[in-house]
Amino acid sequence: MISVQLILLIIFGLAAIWFGWRVFMTSSMVRSALSLLGSMVAIGILFIIMEAEFLGVLQIMMMGTEMSIMAIFMMMYMMDPGGLGQMDMYHQKNISIAAGVIVTVLIVGAAFATDWGTIATQFPGPHEQNRLLGMEILKRSMMIFETAGVTILTGMIASIAVALSIKNSVEK
Amino acid sequence: MELLITALIIAAVLFGIGLYGALSQTNLVMIMMGIELMLGASMINLVAFWRYLHPEAFSIQMFVLIAMTVMALEGAVGFAIATQRFRTSGSVEMEESAELKG
Repeated sequence: MISVQLILLIIFGLAAIWFGWRVFMTSSMVRSALSLLGSMVAIGILFIIMEAEFLGVLQIMMMGTEMSIMAIFMMMYMMDPGGLGQMDMYHQKNISIAAGVIVTVLIVGAAFATDWGTIATQFPGPHEQNRLLGMEILKRSMMIFETAGVTILTGMIASIAVALSIKNSVEK
Repeated sequence: MELLITALIIAAVLFGIGLYGALSQTNLVMIMMGIELMLGASMINLVAFWRYLHPEAFSIQMFVLIAMTVMALEGAVGFAIATQRFRTSGSVEMEESAELKG
C-alpha cells in the first residue's frame, strides 16, 4: 500500500538527489552552494517526514547557516562567482563516475539483500522523543556528547590557528 | 519495509553523487561539498534505521548529532585551510597543491 509518508519520502528524496546533482553540474560557485543548501534542506524535510522532528529542524537551521557562509566564501575565493568563464574544474572524471555508480549499486544491492526484520510501528511522539533524547545525552551518551563539545572547541582553535596570517618577525 | 528501502536508496544515490564530487572536483570547497553530501546520506540512513527498526534506541539519534558536529567541523577546518591556501598561493585549486607530494 502506498502511504502519504512514502509519497512525501519519494518527492523530497528526489529533490535532495536533484539538488545534490546540480551541485556538480553548474559552473557557478554560488549556484553550487545554493544547490547544496537545497539538498540539505530536503534532507532535513526527510527527517521530519520520518518523524524525527527535532533532528529535521536542527538540520535545516544548521545547514542553512553553513551553506550561506559557504556561498560567501565561494565568492571570495573564486574570481568568477557567476560561472561566466565556464572553467573546467574536473579531473579523473571517468574514474569518479565509475566509483560513484559502483558504490551506489553496491549499497542498493546490500539494502535489498539484507533481511531487516520487522518494521517498527510504535514510536514516541515529538515531545517524548525530545525528552528521551535529552535523557540519552545526559545519561548514557554524556561522555560522547561532552567529547563532541570539546572537539568543536578544538576545531575552532585549530581553524583560527590555521587561518591566521603569519608574519615573519625576524629582522634581516 | 518499502519506506526503509526507499530511504536507503535515496541515501545510496546521494552518497554516490557525493563520492563522485569528492573524487572529481579540483576545487577544495567543491571537494568539501562532496563530503557534506556523503555525510548527509549517512544521516538519512541513521534516521531511517532509528525510525523503522529501533525507535526505542536514542543512541542512533545521538549518532546523527555527532555526524552534524563532524559536518560543521569539516566546514570550519576546511575553510581555514582554504583561506591559508588562498593567502599563500592565490588559489584553492588542489591541482596546484602538489608540494607535499613525496
